[in-house]
Amino acid sequence: MPEGIAAVRQRIRELLAELFGGNRRFEGVPDTMSLREAGVSSTGLVSLLVAMEETFGFEWEDDVEPEVLRSIDSLAGHVVALRG
Amino acid sequence: MKETVAGLRLPAGVPPKTPLGCCRVPPPYGPAQQTAAGRCAAAAALASAGSGVRHVPREADGRPRFPPGFAGSISHTERLAAAVVVPGAAGVGIDIEDADISPRVAAFVLSEEERQTLLPPAGEYTPRELFASKEAAFKALNGSGALGAFPFWRLRLAPCGERLTASYRGESVAVWVSPPTGLSFAVAIRR
Repeated sequence: MPEGIAAVRQRIRELLAELFGGNRRFEGVPDTMSLREAGVSSTGLVSLLVAMEETFGFEWEDDVEPEVLRSIDSLAGHVVALRG
Repeated sequence: MKETVAGLRLPAGVPPKTPLGCCRVPPPYGPAQQTAAGRCAAAAALASAGSGVRHVPREADGRPRFPPGFAGSISHTERLAAAVVVPGAAGVGIDIEDADISPRVAAFVLSEEERQTLLPPAGEYTPRELFASKEAAFKALNGSGALGAFPFWRLRLAPCGERLTASYRGESVAVWVSPPTGLSFAVAIRR
């Protein structure tokens, strides 16, 4: 059974914590807040996208819209949509 | 070359008197402190450029809005912020990077052709320098948002003598990047 969006959001939060060395800075970041405004660097964002490919078993399309990459919520929505 | 705080230097090829400002990020090194340090660096660069206006507000989408006639750009790591201003330029972009770029991340942001021509053994750039170059070029090309929304890694880099050229949808910009000592510092200037 596919994961619901809440579970995907939680997994993305875990990936962020792993990427930032267990840093708990992102625990309180709202789902819809811009990750850049939350302090995620460009290298951090790309590292998260790569980790998502491995975790959720898909590859980002070259023409992905930047708005999809904006927040935990938009990222999770993309994963759920891919799974149909 | 001009030397500034933390030893940050303009990459070779950038005019040495190009206004550069640097400010350290104070503890606890969070987003608010990084943003404030970025504005501090921008004010310093604007002062060096002769601008009477030193305040750089944010556009709704987060991009900095430099005073008319003083194109500029801001970048920061967790500990250091830098800004460059080029009076009269059409667009400026900078990026400073201190993060390690894994092979997976390099493969994500660089095309196969870029990897084959710019990374060793054929090329002499590091993945971090190329990452910073794309980020800087994106800021310079898309400062006005005229090219629409696109991820910075879709820019294509090509060698051009001692520098790089970054292109997207028929628009291009010159990029210079510092050697791989300490921070990678990329500067893109669109005339």
